[in-house]
Amino acid sequence: MSPDAAPPLEVHDLTVAYHKRPVLYGIDMVAPAGALIGVVGPNGAGKSTLIKAIMGVVPISGGWVKLFGKPFRQAVNRVGYVPQRESVDWDFPVSVFDVVMMGRYGRLGLFKRPGKADRDIVRDCLDKVKMLPYAGRQISNLSGGQQQRVFLARALAQESDLYFMDEPFAGVDAATEAAIIELLTELKARGKTILVVHHDLPTAQKYFDRILMLNMRLVAYGPTEEVFNMENLQKAYGGRLNILTEVAEREKAVAE
Amino acid sequence: MMKEDAISKQAFSFAADLRRFTQIIFSRICVSSAFHLRLKKTIFILWLLFGTSLAHAAKIGDLRETDWLEQAARFWSLSDPAVVNALIGSVLMGVCCGLLGAFIVVRKLSLMGDTLSHAVMPGVALGFLWAASKNPLAIFIGATLAGLAGTWLVGAIKKTTPVKEDGALGMVLAGFYAVGICLFVMIQRSPTGNKSGIDKFLFGQAAALSTQDLWLMGIVTACALLAVALFYKELLTTSFDVGFARSSGMATGMLHSLLMSLLAFAVVISLQATGVVLVSAMLITPAATAYLLTDRMGVMLTLAALIGVGSAVLGAFLSFLGHSLPTGPFMVVGAGVAFTVAYFAGPRHGLITRWFRQASRRRRVRDENTLKALYHLAEQSNFAEESFNLGQLAAQRNESLPETEERAAALARAGFATVVQATENGLPGTHRNVQLTPSGWRRASEVVRNHRLWELYLTNAAQYAADHVHDDAERVEHILGEEIVRELEKRLNYPQLDPHGKPIPQTLQPAPAGDSAATGYRQPGS
Amino acid sequence: MNGFIPAFDFQTVFVEPWQWDPVGTAWIVGMGFLVSAACGLVGTFLVFRRMALVGDAISHSILPGIVIAFLISGSRGVLPMMAGAVAAGLVTVALIEAIHRGSRVKPDAALGIVFSTLFALGVILLALFADKVDLDPDCVLYGEIGLMPLMQEARIGSVSLGPWPVLQMGIVFLVLVALLFLFYKQLLVTSFDPALARSLGIRASVYHYGLMFCLSVTVVSSFEAVGVILVIAMLIFPAVTGTMLTDRLPLILGLTLPLGAMYSLLGFHLALWLDTSIAGAMVVVAGALFGVAWIFSPRKGLLALALARRRIQHEAATA
Repeated sequence: MSPDAAPPLEVHDLTVAYHKRPVLYGIDMVAPAGALIGVVGPNGAGKSTLIKAIMGVVPISGGWVKLFGKPFRQAVNRVGYVPQRESVDWDFPVSVFDVVMMGRYGRLGLFKRPGKADRDIVRDCLDKVKMLPYAGRQISNLSGGQQQRVFLARALAQESDLYFMDEPFAGVDAATEAAIIELLTELKARGKTILVVHHDLPTAQKYFDRILMLNMRLVAYGPTEEVFNMENLQKAYGGRLNILTEVAEREKAVAE
Repeated sequence: MMKEDAISKQAFSFAADLRRFTQIIFSRICVSSAFHLRLKKTIFILWLLFGTSLAHAAKIGDLRETDWLEQAARFWSLSDPAVVNALIGSVLMGVCCGLLGAFIVVRKLSLMGDTLSHAVMPGVALGFLWAASKNPLAIFIGATLAGLAGTWLVGAIKKTTPVKEDGALGMVLAGFYAVGICLFVMIQRSPTGNKSGIDKFLFGQAAALSTQDLWLMGIVTACALLAVALFYKELLTTSFDVGFARSSGMATGMLHSLLMSLLAFAVVISLQATGVVLVSAMLITPAATAYLLTDRMGVMLTLAALIGVGSAVLGAFLSFLGHSLPTGPFMVVGAGVAFTVAYFAGPRHGLITRWFRQASRRRRVRDENTLKALYHLAEQSNFAEESFNLGQLAAQRNESLPETEERAAALARAGFATVVQATENGLPGTHRNVQLTPSGWRRASEVVRNHRLWELYLTNAAQYAADHVHDDAERVEHILGEEIVRELEKRLNYPQLDPHGKPIPQTLQPAPAGDSAATGYRQPGS
Repeated sequence: MNGFIPAFDFQTVFVEPWQWDPVGTAWIVGMGFLVSAACGLVGTFLVFRRMALVGDAISHSILPGIVIAFLISGSRGVLPMMAGAVAAGLVTVALIEAIHRGSRVKPDAALGIVFSTLFALGVILLALFADKVDLDPDCVLYGEIGLMPLMQEARIGSVSLGPWPVLQMGIVFLVLVALLFLFYKQLLVTSFDPALARSLGIRASVYHYGLMFCLSVTVVSSFEAVGVILVIAMLIFPAVTGTMLTDRLPLILGLTLPLGAMYSLLGFHLALWLDTSIAGAMVVVAGALFGVAWIFSPRKGLLALALARRRIQHEAATA
């Protein structure tokens, strides 16, 4: 079996806990190549935690994750990441170009400096998100949408096969939103797999061909038209009470 | 044995060479001539700190008490080996602290530097105890271990208790320091061992650096330089975006430990020059100053190292001038002055600089509003008139006549208009007229054009009511760039009329000659 | 190393001081208690406002304040010292705010710059006017709580009220307790939810600067006893130790009193045993007590945490 026969992403029984509080329980999923998957769920459902746990950014307390049939460490160069925009300090003394260049660092490895080829790639990626004219700017002089484009360009510069994006549509202008959609479609057409954490339910149905509905545990996962129904939504959003009582019951059972 | 006696001995026995500072309790200040002399000397030193040259040195020639001029000459002639050591030490320390401090500041770990510098205290004491003398290597090892234990403990407290970062830092800082103080006092009292020099760790004495100390400083600085050069891209990425760094396979934990170890090394080698209490300032202040001066990490590293060296050398020099003055405080105040200058007068982010920039923007907006009013006046006359008297302009702008005169004068200064005496029936009249120059016309048409394009965009694209768009456009018209104007034109399909039905001047192409309502341009004086 | 740690003897360490000089010992321990309790009360609010290190900053930067006050007034009277300290404290807070508002320097770096520069300035002034200012750099760093019995006594007629610094600290403590009772509600609201406070018509900035005022006064009264750096410990440790044990603010505030008494008493005896600095030993005790709470706290301790983690894993495995 060639390595690429393995699915880009395979998650088995993933459990994550912060301090004493469990955040994700027993998540199981497989992402096929070329899928554009939206991760939806209410606030605090563990959407960001899921992708962070998959990439080893937060430690996992149970289960395992395989990327292209390998543990994360061995597949790291095939993974691209767009973190939440608020997660960084935009006053940091770097230019737009420097930030996008960070996308190349993972590939370069230790001790190697970026060369001309890397600089060309960075410029191409900036051009793709129409940010090339801003390459020399300090990052604090950008609008929210422009900041998001910079992060997208950085992910593109990673030249990966599997992308994780954490709320890329949050707080961006309509033009950037359209540009992101265009980019996602293009990536998908090239056979890349993309997981996007998304907050807005109405657009989720429109944008993604697969939906992963999450509320601390997996509510539903599959093609959008199958998953996106009232019953599942009720379970994920309206059914918060149910989940709480269920957990409480189980805790009682364990205590006895 | 009397207990009071034991206790007072305990409180008094430490740091014998600083003891002479202690006075009888409630002694009164005497305004003696000696006091005046001291005062003058301080003023002089403070004045030196604020960057004045030695040109005024003659003024304080009457300060013979400490022959500071002679001292200064001795310092810069470098004939004294202690001075050479102090200088080399200061340079090494400035480079090392500046480089690492830059990363500390951008990672928002400034106070970790402070905690670390206090946390090394018990290590210094234990190292001292272990080697039974002031052996730099033993102290280095002990202090580094204690510093790392402190940083580890901060992390552990943050992770496993509800205590927030500031509390954890404060606890470790004070707790470790207290252990250190207890050990120091015990060492002072212990019968064995050579205890000279340990008190230098409190406020620092650069002149007391030994060759052995310098070797250690050199090695540590070289390590820091090497680490920053080798791991620059990793340090940069983890500092900017830890999550991304980890997702692209960087060993963020290892890098953090590396940085903390280097930081501990830097603190330890700086102890003797600046003292425990003020090391953190040498980490934070030069780096923060550099942070105010540049937008690039590479430049910031270089600047931080340079500012660090500058303030360290200055501190070593000033403390040498007086009689057994501590080094550290002078270095720190030097760095503080550098920061103050950058804060107010930094080329990009300085407070005064920004204030000037804002003032000039306000001036531009005022000019543009006056230009626009003149354009409107011309438009009202169907572009038949070319010069307008100040009264008309004042009415249009809703301003008083003196105000308008000021505005017109400002336009004249900028070359946008000329102010001339009006003629009434061929004779010089009482009024004064203002007339736009070609560049004034161009600018006025541009402003009006921006305003009307934006109004149109708001009504068309954002579906504002036509009577609501004016104020909004008023704010935006001044900041629309060439690029956005082009984009607006394209989106609006090259419009001719604004939502109120007035023509939008087309002025971005070269101005045509003759008058034409369509171009809105009229050659003045034609 | 031989003889570095003296042999422990219960009689000499715990009994003899109280037999030989009960009054002097009581003044030392009492001063220790007053310092830890007063600092603990103010410090609790600092910790809850995530301003613990502002306490650190102010305790350092009052040094130039009191040196300048000394140089101007020429006396070590209570009022000039207090005025100098409060002025320096408020200037520190204002400067930190000005730096991080007026530039992109982050608050943590601003704090580090301000207090270290001011402290350095204070040390320089102290060194230059050494023969004029009756303040010893060592005392600034360690305090001289052991000297309390030797301080001038406050007297009304022939009745001794105890050493001046102890009396002063006692007054500060009582005033703090009174202020706490008067303004508890406002302090609570402004600490937890400044927005809500504003909507209730409470001026958050008034309480902010009021707290900074109290902090400066407390620190200046305490630092002669325990030194500038150990003052921070007294500000933070009671609050964080209390937080480990309970979630209720009144209880945490109440706990500062027994904790303060323990720091003072145990610290004094520890210092006697090891023949070392009393203030240092008090903080070591404070650290040790926090360590005990950290490990054994019934709900938030490390042991409780480990048990909970095991339960989750067990739960996940059985689910």
